[in-house]
Amino acid sequence: MKNSTQLTEEQITKDLLPQKFGKFGMIWVGVLVTICLVGLYAYYRQIRYGLGVTAMRDYVSWGIYISNFVFFVAISLVGSLITAIFRLSNVKWSTPLTRIAEIIAVSAIVFASIIIIVDMGRPERFTNLFVYGRLQSPIMWDVIVIGTYFFISILLLYFPLLPDLQILIKNKDNSGKRLNWLYRFQGSFWKGTPEQHKICNKAINTLSILIIPVAFTIHTVTSWLFATTYRPGWDSTNFGAYFISGAFLVGSGGVIVAMYIFHKFYHLEKYITELHFDRMGRIVVMLSFLYLYFNVNEYLVPAFKMKKSEELHLKELFTGDFSTMFWFAIIVGMLIPIITLLFKKGRKPLPMFIIGCMIVVGAWFKRYLIVTPTLLHPFLPMQDIPANFRQYFPTWEEWAITSASLAGALLVITFFVRIYPIIPIYETITEQLESENHDA
Amino acid sequence: MMHNFLFLIFLVVIIFTIPSKSEGQEESAGKPVLKLQYFNNNGIQYLILDSKLKKNKVLYPQKNITYSLYLDNSEEPNLIGKMTTDEDGKAKSFIPVSLKAAWDASQTHTFIVKQGEDEIISDYSITKTKMTLDTSAEGDRQIIVNLKQYDGKNWVPVPDVEMKIGINCVGGVLSATDDPTFTTDAEGNITTEFKRENLNGDSKGNLTLVAKIEGNEQFGNVITEKVVNWGVPTVVNNDFFNQRTLWATRYRTPIWLLAMAYSIIIGVWGTLIYLVFQIVKIKKIGVSK
Repeated sequence: MKNSTQLTEEQITKDLLPQKFGKFGMIWVGVLVTICLVGLYAYYRQIRYGLGVTAMRDYVSWGIYISNFVFFVAISLVGSLITAIFRLSNVKWSTPLTRIAEIIAVSAIVFASIIIIVDMGRPERFTNLFVYGRLQSPIMWDVIVIGTYFFISILLLYFPLLPDLQILIKNKDNSGKRLNWLYRFQGSFWKGTPEQHKICNKAINTLSILIIPVAFTIHTVTSWLFATTYRPGWDSTNFGAYFISGAFLVGSGGVIVAMYIFHKFYHLEKYITELHFDRMGRIVVMLSFLYLYFNVNEYLVPAFKMKKSEELHLKELFTGDFSTMFWFAIIVGMLIPIITLLFKKGRKPLPMFIIGCMIVVGAWFKRYLIVTPTLLHPFLPMQDIPANFRQYFPTWEEWAITSASLAGALLVITFFVRIYPIIPIYETITEQLESENHDA
Repeated sequence: MMHNFLFLIFLVVIIFTIPSKSEGQEESAGKPVLKLQYFNNNGIQYLILDSKLKKNKVLYPQKNITYSLYLDNSEEPNLIGKMTTDEDGKAKSFIPVSLKAAWDASQTHTFIVKQGEDEIISDYSITKTKMTLDTSAEGDRQIIVNLKQYDGKNWVPVPDVEMKIGINCVGGVLSATDDPTFTTDAEGNITTEFKRENLNGDSKGNLTLVAKIEGNEQFGNVITEKVVNWGVPTVVNNDFFNQRTLWATRYRTPIWLLAMAYSIIIGVWGTLIYLVFQIVKIKKIGVSK
């Protein structure tokens, strides 16, 4: 934050207070709401006519919903990376990014939970998981760990928000009556006393420590949903680490996209600077290499052995029906980001934004490739089955519901930014004061 | 000369083509194949009709086809019953009590099968038999089978009838000795030793001995069984299902998993609850100021 050192406290507060939606903001919200409504109608049809409206059949029983679930779970990991790992490592430059990462984590984990219920043919039986759940089942572990991660993320969002709520209450002219009521309800008791700060900091540190193993668990357990099933493409002891590395990458990609949008459209150039893009670019290079390394392990080792049972699956990915998507995910989602971000010019805001989008899109298709092709290649041959059991392409209902979940996650982030400061005001002011004192 | 030769070839082709074409037509339509079998299973008499359609050398079951089964003649009073074939093309019918007098009146009976007004089977006859299966009183594992037939007045021994004697098990009969079959002597008797040792029986060690005449042209299928305590009691080990394993029910979760999972859950959620109380503490400090 080279430029912000010259900023006054009032200027920082003014810059970082939530802004009302402009014309573009209203259009953006309108588009997202429309996508959500179409998705709701599609879900109504799914409830009314059953899972038959989807393209999922006996063989491909996990389709686009589950790949979308894995994507959401993956992108949520960024909360633990930027908020917890950077905080515990005393990385100061990440301060403006912590809340961005945390709200991405919260919205993603909320929609991961929703999409898994959408995948159920009888959603009203969801409670059976708790009434009749077996602790031996990885699905049960996933339910427990997702709930825990969500709660930790909410607390990690709330504690650092407390000092900012006091600032928001002080600047009540900036917001309407309802928002002021909300701020008072959530943080009127915050007086900024040393004792309150001490408790708050201790709580944030505790949460930062706690969220790391929980975040690792959520991704490992999600990978085990696949790895504990003996199928070509899933039968791997490497899956936990493979999922975690992929999750770090897509989460960072998501943060870069969000950073650029706040940098450019919310005019926060003084706070999310080129330095942040440069640093995040370096991290993404490392994460891309890491994920590429696990990909090489996941595909090269089985391809070298080419066991009969895995042969069809691997050939479909490398040269068959899924090869375009596979090489797109590898090249666009990993190789191009590595090459581009190795150069300083590639770590400028706009190239970074494009690379961030490529990583996120590539990662979404990568999840699709993890789920669907395996289900299309069972160990026993498919015999005496209808033709549509042999292939899978999502129906419009599945696309609409999936798009609605993505739009819903973006809507949560959009409304959060409308209500709360996306860059922590108090921490920015404090860090500037510390910097000034240090300079003095 | 050449014309004659061509004509000859044409004639040969025609001669061989016409019958082969009609055979082909018959093949494509399918040819019904019906088989009726009489059973005397431990004194209970019944008949099983197997209805198949032969098409391209493959037999296909004919389901939902109704046949009428008669005893001795195809008049209404002698109707045994109407039989409708199931998915396997099979139908079963018991001889009703109303035909007891007709059944007792003769030692040999003919069964007639009709489909609508067409008589499909009219020559399937059986002679009534009585087969007993006993074991020797000395406890030396001797099996004694006796076969008799009704001659109109008395039950007389039947010699030279081949049958299986052994243990009833899934898929067939495990012979009592190394011989696969046994034949009745002039007195209609078979006496054999049960040579199978250490066979698993039920929980009490019971085995089911069986004497079985299969597909005999004169007597049909005759089966007689007797339960003997010559086996080794089978002790069902339910421990496998009672163990605490990863594949057991929710009530039999392994202790190590319970301990691990609950200690993590309690540890993490205990900390989270503590942190929620910290919010309450922050609130109290703020309110008091």
